[in-house]
Amino acid sequence: MKGLLISDFNIENLSAYLKVESNAPQLECQVAPYGQITQNLLDGTLPFWQPSPDFVVVWTRPESVLESFARVLSGFAVDGETIRSDVDVYCKRLLLAKHRVRTLFVPTWVVPTFHHGQGMLDLASGIGVARLLMHANMRLLENLDEHSNIIPLNAAKWVELAGKTAFNQRLWYLGKVPFGNEVFKAAARDFKAALRGIHGQARKLVILDLDETLWGGIVGEIGWQEIVLGGHDATGEALVDFQTELKALTRRGIVLAIASRNDESVALEAIREHPEMVLREQDFASWRINWKDKAENINELVEELNLGLEAAVFIDDNPVERSRVREALPSVLVPDWPEDKRLYPQALRSLDCFDKPSISAEDRRRQEMYTRERQRAQLKNRVGSVEEWLQTLDLTVTVEPLNSANLRRLTQLFNKTNQMNLSTRRMTEQELLDWAERENRRMWGFLVSDRFGDSGLTGILGMAAGDGCATIVDFILSCRVMGRRVEESMLHIAVDWARSLMMGSVQAIYAPTSKNKPCYDFFQRSNFRHESDNTFVWDAAQEYPLHRAVRLLKKAERYGQAL
Amino acid sequence: MEITREKIIEVLYESIAELNEQRSKDQRMALSPQTPLGEGSGLDSLGFVNLVALIEEKCDDRFGRTLVLSVPHIDPAAHDPFETVDSLAKFLEVILTDGERPRVI
Repeated sequence: MKGLLISDFNIENLSAYLKVESNAPQLECQVAPYGQITQNLLDGTLPFWQPSPDFVVVWTRPESVLESFARVLSGFAVDGETIRSDVDVYCKRLLLAKHRVRTLFVPTWVVPTFHHGQGMLDLASGIGVARLLMHANMRLLENLDEHSNIIPLNAAKWVELAGKTAFNQRLWYLGKVPFGNEVFKAAARDFKAALRGIHGQARKLVILDLDETLWGGIVGEIGWQEIVLGGHDATGEALVDFQTELKALTRRGIVLAIASRNDESVALEAIREHPEMVLREQDFASWRINWKDKAENINELVEELNLGLEAAVFIDDNPVERSRVREALPSVLVPDWPEDKRLYPQALRSLDCFDKPSISAEDRRRQEMYTRERQRAQLKNRVGSVEEWLQTLDLTVTVEPLNSANLRRLTQLFNKTNQMNLSTRRMTEQELLDWAERENRRMWGFLVSDRFGDSGLTGILGMAAGDGCATIVDFILSCRVMGRRVEESMLHIAVDWARSLMMGSVQAIYAPTSKNKPCYDFFQRSNFRHESDNTFVWDAAQEYPLHRAVRLLKKAERYGQAL
Repeated sequence: MEITREKIIEVLYESIAELNEQRSKDQRMALSPQTPLGEGSGLDSLGFVNLVALIEEKCDDRFGRTLVLSVPHIDPAAHDPFETVDSLAKFLEVILTDGERPRVI
């Protein structure tokens, strides 16, 4: 991935750390001439804007871009309104660059930690440096809030992490580098975590050991009543906090599972009965509690949950188990874990693998959806055939055009789905809107619900028509609802739209990746004519049949008209 | 703390190691007495500035002695102290152990 760094200071050290930092993605950065913020933002013809970088960082010191802030540092009194006004002017320049790039990162402003300011007046109205810095940063965030491809990042956190080496006066006077290496390292980690999240690579699943991980002690030996959890005990309290942090992750759409060497009934009894357990059965999407190899159990879990190994994080107190899983399943993230259980909450909070650009209502309900999925699976095991099972589900598929209300969730699904994905395009919210607004193109979201609950927006169809043929450009379905005939409902809509435009045929051109073979397999079964290696065609003189188990609802009376 | 050449070399190695964190594997400098620090080191001007700042900081932290290293006025007839790790260590040993107040070089 290629980035562009724009700054009023020498930012080459950040460029170096972004290149060598070992986590994905691999980055190469250009550095724009420093100290020319306005020119670099205003002039899109400058050579470093071509070709368009994948991301841009605009990192400035407040005193160099806000004249009023420079005056504050010189001891003048300045009111908050003047600061905010200067920030507004600066943000107008930033917004000029917004359309040239997919993602624009803007670190917040900081002042050196050794800057004593005016001591007890540092938070005073009109003259306090710290207070006016807060005004400036809040105004910056307010200006950038509405722009989904501009991501402010908290530079104060990097400074705190770096401690006393955050600001390097020697480097400043030698080379106009204001920050010490630890600041740039922390910043590089955060930029990379953000890029992973934006490109759908955030981790989605945490698989946990039980004994000595979620609680202290071996439950099979001492009984659930004696495990260390909660109470007036430092370790017990820390483990409760650890579980609380894990539960907080589920509200961001992260799913929890268990892989533990234990007797299942003994372990589940502890989860159900211990009064200080924060995490209960319903907080786990699934578990493998047995005496099998953990790598094997983890493989089974990700397959059951329809997630890839690259979505999983494995947490275990035992370094031998961690080493085993790292070796057997290199795509699973296995963080080093502290021996001291009092450090578990901090270790979990420090993980940057879950970063995402937004959290939707669906994310917040994801754990609940997995619990319901477990119930569906149990029902499937009880009925005789898939067809019977489908009939018992009371499946409803609602199709709605791309609109401002579903744009965020649709974009998220668009960028993170790999398996049932025809063309695996990746686009920002603005890019999707721009694409769908053009003539003879449409995009729809598909919402799925059944008697067990609402799976939410889980499908996307993007179509383009011309020269007598409608092309399915995007055919995307969350693996959570695969195999429930939602796929056929989407094809029904695709063909219906083509027929409404008097197109003679509908085609789908499969773009192979290492992960989307399920999409190819579906089209092979779909009764579309397989014309060449990767092209499937339907004669639009025929409707595409809806499955009898599916009730299809269209949100707009004539769908595809909203944008 | 007694300032010895071995301890100075340790500081130089720590500085190089920290600088290496910014460099890709094929560009990393070796931790050896013969490693060049000036010409032949592969360092550009910013890399050199980073190294100098690190050495100054670590000497301050480790030995409590402030050092200001700059090379614009080095006597061409004199041996370049930045030629290698070992030459710089020898140079700093003299400067840091003379018992006087911080030296500007």
